[in-house]
Amino acid sequence: MNPHAKLISTMSLIMGTSITMSSNHWILAWTGLEVNTLAIIPLISKSHHPRAIEAAIKYFLTQSTASALILFSSLTNAWSTGQWDITQLNNPTSCLLLTMAIAIKLGLVPFHFWFPEVLQGSSMTTALLLSTLMKLPPITLLFMSSQSLNPALLTTLAISSALVGGWMGLNQTQTRKILAFSSISHLGWMIAIIIYDPHLTILTFALYSLMTTTMFLSLTQIKVLKLSTMLISWTKTPMLNATMMLALLSLAGLPPLTGFMPKWLIIQELTKQGMTPTATTITLLSLLGLFFYLRLAYHSTIMLPPNSSNHMKLWRTNKASNTPTAILSTLSISLLPMTPLITTMF
Amino acid sequence: MAVAVMFLNNACLRGRCCRHKVLQPLLGTFCADSMSKCYSSYRRPGSQPEVTPSWRNIDFSFKKGINALKTQLSLLKKETKDHLTGPDGHSFSHYMLEQTKVMWVFRCQEDLNKWVISSDVEIGGKSEVYLKLGRNNQGAMLYGILNTEVPRDGETKYSGYCSMRAKPAVGSFARKKYYDWSNFNSLYLRVRGDGRPWMVNIYTDPYFSHQKDDLYNYFMFTRGGPYWEEIKIPFSKFFLSSRGRVQDDQHPIWLDKISTLGFTLGDKVDGPFQLEIDFIGLLNDRAHTEEFAYETYERNPRI
Repeated sequence: MNPHAKLISTMSLIMGTSITMSSNHWILAWTGLEVNTLAIIPLISKSHHPRAIEAAIKYFLTQSTASALILFSSLTNAWSTGQWDITQLNNPTSCLLLTMAIAIKLGLVPFHFWFPEVLQGSSMTTALLLSTLMKLPPITLLFMSSQSLNPALLTTLAISSALVGGWMGLNQTQTRKILAFSSISHLGWMIAIIIYDPHLTILTFALYSLMTTTMFLSLTQIKVLKLSTMLISWTKTPMLNATMMLALLSLAGLPPLTGFMPKWLIIQELTKQGMTPTATTITLLSLLGLFFYLRLAYHSTIMLPPNSSNHMKLWRTNKASNTPTAILSTLSISLLPMTPLITTMF
Repeated sequence: MAVAVMFLNNACLRGRCCRHKVLQPLLGTFCADSMSKCYSSYRRPGSQPEVTPSWRNIDFSFKKGINALKTQLSLLKKETKDHLTGPDGHSFSHYMLEQTKVMWVFRCQEDLNKWVISSDVEIGGKSEVYLKLGRNNQGAMLYGILNTEVPRDGETKYSGYCSMRAKPAVGSFARKKYYDWSNFNSLYLRVRGDGRPWMVNIYTDPYFSHQKDDLYNYFMFTRGGPYWEEIKIPFSKFFLSSRGRVQDDQHPIWLDKISTLGFTLGDKVDGPFQLEIDFIGLLNDRAHTEEFAYETYERNPRI
């Protein structure tokens, strides 16, 4: 990509995210969302492959619809209450519209159909941005308006996202789609707790971003786009394979890895709030995700010769060593003992 | 207004020939009669005239509806079981270790029903194409006569093609299903041709209609027989075309969402043709390391 275009896109992404996160007025927040949408379109369609163009169009249509709904929600709220402040969303219709709009933006069930397709059509780096950075502004808006939103609706969205994310991820063979469904499932956990403890949502999002970034960077380094390629990656980068397996298990929420922390805290908070059936349901549904993460981890690391592999072995990877991946892998595996410190930060 | 439209419509129903001259320019889209298309009254020479209105083709039988629902629910149940088993209903280790796969095999009439044949008759041409089971029910025979005579409709310039295309896979409740061929890198065909060059087409069924004419093609040159030949076509050789025109901006085919496969004959040679196909399969050829055969150089290098 032209370096100037890349610079403009990157700066626009940062600017759009900053605008939305720092705004108190709905119009400014909407502006930031639109800047973000427009900035990422050239990144998604960079390769000009028909599937990449398709992904870019799908992304644009869904995000524009959601932005229009956000604007409409803020307008109806301003019309009925005279308030443009994001934290003063009092009109029930506005709250409903905003919830739907944020669900579309984030890819929550039942508005999740675009997310795996868009991720599959993008490159690994763009998919990473779509899964982490592009979710930050909508989560911020949800965080700021969480006290006005309908708890029953949010709980329904959360449980259905955990269910669909786990169920649909079961038979995926493309790594980006697997991570897309993992994202949907994790978003379910984040939304489940936002009414009761919004700071836990932010903590979950931060840790999810950490673990997902580790996975994406690891997969980019060994150029794994589908599962069968993962079988031969251990020959060239055995250490990366081992850390990738642990990062996968961390994403699954297995103790004593980092990913267990948000799940534990969310279950604890839900139980304290008397939402034990919700906590039980969402925990059981996360077992689906655990199943396919374990299967991935097994097939990538534990399946060793003399079984035959389907692919030519990788000659070389991108770089000999990758410092950010190493740091992020360490963090995504070993942060659980620091839970008391981390919870005070959020 | 609606009553006036209905009255006018009924009055001219028998005189269909004058309706287009009088009513169409006056009322345009208000004449929503099922006998005429609002956007065009032209019918292609090869297409059949629409005798029955479309709403008459709907079967309002309650019992048939219940049976159809039962069929779809049983399909859904099977899909759920396959989903729990693994990708495509096979176990996960089967998927990870498979190196060959037979996609289509021709042994009975049901196998032939999964394919659709077509020719230039649909644009008014005179080619003929037929599909039947081969000798001893081993293989399918696609045969016919190619005729390059152009239909005299004033707009068609070329004619003379015959094709055979697989029907897209359909799940429960008529949902589209796609094939995941990402584990393989070559198409494997066991055919016996007549020396004519065929074109193999792969359709990936894009979401938006802008790309609905996109097709990935490659050639299949057959020998005259009498021996069967096994043709391997790597997926890296397939080039992108749209409405039959090879695109300047070429991209490799992505194998995770394949809809249909087809064979087309259009070599501009009048006369009979015959192609026997035993099976169509997929292969992971470890000796083939090419990723894409076309335009792999950087077109606008930064100096």
